[in-house]
Amino acid sequence: MSTGTLRQVAIDLQESEENRALIEAIKDDNPELTLRHLPGLVKVQAAGRIVINRESVENRLGREWETGEFQLAIVSYTGNFSEWDDDRIIVSWEH
Amino acid sequence: MSVPTKKAASKPARKLPLKERYALLTRDLDWEPGYVDREQLFPHTRYEGIKIHDWDGWQDPFRLTVDAYYKYQVEKDKRLYAVLDGFAQSQGHLSLSDASYLNAIKLFIQGVTPLEYAAHRHFAYLARHLEGPAPRFAALCQSVDELRHCQTQIHTISNYNKYYGGFHSWSKMHDRVWYLSVPKSLFDDAMTAGPFEFLISISFSFEYLLTNLLFVPFMSGASFNGDMPTMSFGFSAQSDESRHMTLGLEAIKFLLEQDEGNVPIIQDWIDKWFWRAYRMSALVAGMMDYMLPKPVMSWREAFELYFEEQMLGGLFPDLEYYGIQPPRHVNDAIAEKDHLSHQVYKILHNFSFAAAFTTKTPDEAHMAWLAEQYPDSFDQVYRPVWEKHRKIEADGGRVFFQGLPQLCQVCQVPMAFTEPGNSAQISFRRSTFRDETFHTCSDGCQWIFEREPEKYVQAWLPVHQIYRGNCGGPTVPDVLAWYGIQEGDNGEYTGSPDQLAWAAWHSDGDDKAV
Amino acid sequence: MQYELRYRVLEPRRQTYQNVIDRLGDQPASRYLEATLDVEPTENFHYRPTWAQDRELYDERFSALRLTDPYSYTDPRQYYYTPYVTQRAALHDEFGKTLGYLEARDLLAKLPEAWHTVLTSVVVPLRHYESGAQLVSVSGARFAYGTSLEQCCTFAAFDRIGNAQMLSRAGIAAGGGTAEALKEAKRQWLDGEHLQPLRRLTEEIMVVEDWAEGLLAVDLVDSLVYPLLYQHLDETALLGGAGAYSLVAQHLATWYADQRKWLDALLTCWASDPERGEDNRTALTRIAATWADRARDAVASLTEAIDQALPQAASTTVLGDLADAHATAWTKITGGAA
Repeated sequence: MSTGTLRQVAIDLQESEENRALIEAIKDDNPELTLRHLPGLVKVQAAGRIVINRESVENRLGREWETGEFQLAIVSYTGNFSEWDDDRIIVSWEH
Repeated sequence: MSVPTKKAASKPARKLPLKERYALLTRDLDWEPGYVDREQLFPHTRYEGIKIHDWDGWQDPFRLTVDAYYKYQVEKDKRLYAVLDGFAQSQGHLSLSDASYLNAIKLFIQGVTPLEYAAHRHFAYLARHLEGPAPRFAALCQSVDELRHCQTQIHTISNYNKYYGGFHSWSKMHDRVWYLSVPKSLFDDAMTAGPFEFLISISFSFEYLLTNLLFVPFMSGASFNGDMPTMSFGFSAQSDESRHMTLGLEAIKFLLEQDEGNVPIIQDWIDKWFWRAYRMSALVAGMMDYMLPKPVMSWREAFELYFEEQMLGGLFPDLEYYGIQPPRHVNDAIAEKDHLSHQVYKILHNFSFAAAFTTKTPDEAHMAWLAEQYPDSFDQVYRPVWEKHRKIEADGGRVFFQGLPQLCQVCQVPMAFTEPGNSAQISFRRSTFRDETFHTCSDGCQWIFEREPEKYVQAWLPVHQIYRGNCGGPTVPDVLAWYGIQEGDNGEYTGSPDQLAWAAWHSDGDDKAV
Repeated sequence: MQYELRYRVLEPRRQTYQNVIDRLGDQPASRYLEATLDVEPTENFHYRPTWAQDRELYDERFSALRLTDPYSYTDPRQYYYTPYVTQRAALHDEFGKTLGYLEARDLLAKLPEAWHTVLTSVVVPLRHYESGAQLVSVSGARFAYGTSLEQCCTFAAFDRIGNAQMLSRAGIAAGGGTAEALKEAKRQWLDGEHLQPLRRLTEEIMVVEDWAEGLLAVDLVDSLVYPLLYQHLDETALLGGAGAYSLVAQHLATWYADQRKWLDALLTCWASDPERGEDNRTALTRIAATWADRARDAVASLTEAIDQALPQAASTTVLGDLADAHATAWTKITGGAA
């Protein structure tokens, strides 16, 4: 089904020193992103999809980063991991 | 001896692509049995009516291999236990917002930690009984994760247990105490169902539909109230939880895609399990709105954000593709979002003489916050109730409800919810089964009862059991002793051992510092 | 003010949880004990399982082997989740380093032919045996009675996937970084004559209803396969110019030494239980009578294949010694009850 509008997807990330670069990289790659701060966490939200690129995170971080490490940062999400490979992670709705 | 070939010698081994490597390391381990029947090997996957044509249709986006699992989990636990140790060594409990905050954590270890354990055990059941190797492996990971959650909670709370009441007998209490039969019966219900219903009930309805609503605001609340250990185990557990949510979402899509005949069965389970899990979440609603000295997000706001916006607005339009509708009775839940937490806390407040936590009437500042959060209900309906309590308490009294409440046959919450749209009328439903009358608290619970009356008549209802003499004896002290409740765990917070100790520790500190 | 307060030692009201106090007195308890004792629910279950209507959700009747007090058994390794994953992260990290070394030099693909044959047609196919053992172990994770015991089964189940993955990764390396050796290994598992007795045995163990009997039947196979393939062959490999095999095998031998610790303690605990000991010894004797010879025959079929490629290993002779020694050990534990 299609509502004609893009539905929101969201990721909640733990707000910590380790995750700062990751959050910055997500901001870089998703210009439409909105951020909301709750105690201890950051909720990033966007219409349709959120993409996380390994390269962008590595550039921000200044070291190698595996997409699997995203599992150390994520608290929750809404949507669907429509892609998760060596280079990027995409959260979106499918239908 | 073979002569080594040149091609292999010079360059490093080719790397298999992640997806193929993952498949080889997980689902390729399976083989079609040749010496025993498949039905004999997997005897539980047919009786629920679900049809699976191709187990390999199961997708697992995480592609986690065992070595990567260990690597990430060790890192998570290192971070977590460092926080726990630091907090204990620095007597961090003294910098909580207030000792009354810990009532929320008491409810947590008594009510939720045992569910983590139950999930651990029953995901092992899925890891044994699902026919596909991919979902079996995902279930095995989740089983081990859930053990982690149960144990990190025990360890986090162990430090509080040394200094405060109500934590000490959580496991026994979960088996015995009246309000804990609400979460226990929910998990017993799911575990006694078949493997596919368990998947939909826990992986989908609980982990995907409601987990954000239940845990994320709660962990933020812990952070806001100075409880770094709980925040840390919570967020650390949630990082596993995102894998579990994925399992839930994958499970439902997989089952729906396999056979059209599965759709009505799944719809029924979504209808049942949404309401079942939602009813249990009422306890969390009461906790969020009333038990946090520094509240962070109201039940209503969390419900709107995490359930209405993200699930009804995001997920269900996605599922409509498969012919799935939003849960039956979801509108009743929406209709009572202004009332749920208040009604539940009233119950807890009235009956906390028989609970392993204490309650108190909200003070003026807390009521102002509630009024702000609930502009359509608090001042109109609930403030007058609390004002009355305050007046009585100002005169040295404290009202507890004498006697035992009637429990809903399905959700087992005392029958104190009101009709949707009429907060003056207690909602009360009757059904007859085998010439006996059974009571439920709502259309949702009645519908669930009448679908499977033969199951719900088996319920171990704590109040009935007290009347039958199965709970230590006829008097309140007998029952409390049998529950494992110790002197001062229960009743009113003000004047409780926790409150007195807290006041003494803090006033002593003042004296010494001056 | 807060600062001052932190330097005062407050007297705890209790040292640990009440159930631990009831068992051991009010003294500080280890994280293992707090996270293990009495965690499993024991009473007041609400509904009967639709998949086993004559049982409760947790029910000691899922096995003939029972303990008067399930917590008379504790894991000698004291594994709860964190130490478990810490140990295994180290094991897999070591394995990964070994494999990285072997892969960089292509040493598994370049094994002497006889060793390459043994690796790809006998050892790597056992990744499927490991997978079967996982299914059997995870049944204990669900149906064992008592947290101390099911927890061991849980970890063992996860270990088995880990072992299967170690063998598979060795197979990928032996195939020069491709899936070829794994495909061949699977074909062998399904059709290779030398593997059929073990495959049949594995499948038949997988459908055993009593989870503990299944677990012990697997252990009867393990106690021949592991010492043989990962210790005895390891030594032969070192003498026979196949050091790469030895480098892989050592990690599986390390795992097996760890696995033995909890299982041996469990066998002793079952056999010496004050009230159930006699019944348990009878059950253990019956289990050995049912499975021990079959395990020996299945593994003999492997050793014949190994001896064909590597006569110098004398695997069949070693198997005989291992099986005899093991039978004697069991008889000692069960007191020869029949």
